Amino acid sequence: MIHHPALIAEARTAWRTFVRRRTAVVFTFVFPLLLVVIFGALVTTDPGDGGLFTEPTVYYVPGYLAVVVMFTPLSRIGAEVIRHRDANRFEQLSTTPLSRADWLLAHTLVNIVLVGFACAIVLGVLWVGTGVAVRPSLGLVLFIAVGVTMFCGIGACLGRVASTQDGVIAAANTLAIPMLLLAETFVPPRMLPAWFQPFVDVMPLTPFSRGVRTVVEGGAGWGADLLLLAVLALVFLVIGAHLLPRVD
Amino acid sequence: MEPAVAIEDVSHRYGDVDALRSVSLTVPAGEIVGLIGPNGAGKTTLVRIMCGVIKPMTGAVTVFGHEPRDLDPGAIGLLPQAFSPPGRLTGRELIQYYRDLSGASRSVDDVLAAVGMTAADDRWYERLSGGQQRRLCVGSAIVNDPKLVVLDEPTTGIDPAGRQRIWSLLKQLRDDGHTIVVTTHDMAEAAALSDRVALLAGGALVAVDHPDALIDRHGGTARVRIEPAEPLAPEVIDDLAVDVSSHNGTYELVGLEPYQLADVIGTLATAGVSFRRITWQEPTLEDVYHELAGNSK
Repeated sequence: MIHHPALIAEARTAWRTFVRRRTAVVFTFVFPLLLVVIFGALVTTDPGDGGLFTEPTVYYVPGYLAVVVMFTPLSRIGAEVIRHRDANRFEQLSTTPLSRADWLLAHTLVNIVLVGFACAIVLGVLWVGTGVAVRPSLGLVLFIAVGVTMFCGIGACLGRVASTQDGVIAAANTLAIPMLLLAETFVPPRMLPAWFQPFVDVMPLTPFSRGVRTVVEGGAGWGADLLLLAVLALVFLVIGAHLLPRVD
Repeated sequence: MEPAVAIEDVSHRYGDVDALRSVSLTVPAGEIVGLIGPNGAGKTTLVRIMCGVIKPMTGAVTVFGHEPRDLDPGAIGLLPQAFSPPGRLTGRELIQYYRDLSGASRSVDDVLAAVGMTAADDRWYERLSGGQQRRLCVGSAIVNDPKLVVLDEPTTGIDPAGRQRIWSLLKQLRDDGHTIVVTTHDMAEAAALSDRVALLAGGALVAVDHPDALIDRHGGTARVRIEPAEPLAPEVIDDLAVDVSSHNGTYELVGLEPYQLADVIGTLATAGVSFRRITWQEPTLEDVYHELAGNSK
């Protein structure tokens, strides 16, 4: 059962504690910007040449957004679970009306807002640096919000499995980096062997990439990808909330 | 009157380790009960079971007549062992956070005043002293005005003045009708604070009673400690006519009645023994602890 006042209190506190950590704020926004600057502006693309980074710049927009939509929730939620567990906060919270689902939802809300800002900055830098203007749309907002929700659920699972914050970061990287490269983000599927395609299809990031690409290219028919992403988000959120520990 | 906590034949294991073995304990409403025992005795496990954080493998626990997890969440205020709250929040924001979490009616100012933190309410938690931090943590456990307050080592790291303040607060809460369970390694604290003390050792409840009753039963007799200027000669020790043990130049005389103290001093004076210090020591809860749990692991 969702307990709204407790959820709001948790979300407000999570937001406060994040924005007061200057290094966390800086690196949350600088990391994706570096990627955009490197691959969007410094690396010269040559559309049609057939190699890496030879697609039109707009092709890579899902990849740039995936950096923040995937990495930020995975590492932040995973590390937050470890911090809460080490400080016995879950133990105390278990005697309050805040359920484990409330806790995860509260931190998911914070991540949606945070990643929303980061995505806006990424798109702004992309526009300034490459001239590619991606107009905000309902579809884009929905994909970002649902994508963040899914990776918050996965982050909670990682937080349960890993025993330290270092472990969470390592696990997040192990999970995210292959997806960032292969889930129809930076490497077009035609460059991968045919036998690998089924793996691409089952990557949780793939519906995000396909849907966002359709949205930014102005196409229709992204509803199916959004629905699939939403189902995955719900499944991982439920599993993640269930796995949140009560005690160390 | 319905007990605040009723624990019946509770056992719990972690892997191959027996954390609790057939523990039964009743905590009457409106009392302070101190849980003492060596590290690994099962105190924290019992606290967690009492609060519904974990379920016992066998046995039953009720808090105010209900299973802990069926209680209104605001009924219990828990301060876990080695707890630290979210950082980058001021003392006031922290108490406000826990107040908002529980939807409590108790004001933030009231809680800050109760734990003596009004003057430092605008400083970030991590910039407070260890004692101030711990007092805020206690505040986080009572902000929801719970009927049962469970504090796992609440005074660890607090200076004597701060500890006294926490004791006064807990006694005030008890006088207001709250039930309080406190774990501690400080026997003086347990004796000063508790209406009853429960001693756990090796996962079993070894004794439970009023501190004075436990001391009467298990504390042994009073002792006299003598620190002579020179080691006592064997014939002087014989003349004392009581059990004497020595350690690092200090002699401990056991089994004396108060009126025999004059005889001891007289014997030493007759033998020409000068001494730096002579002290009379009544048995304490620490003696009970060593007697009943001293060798347990």
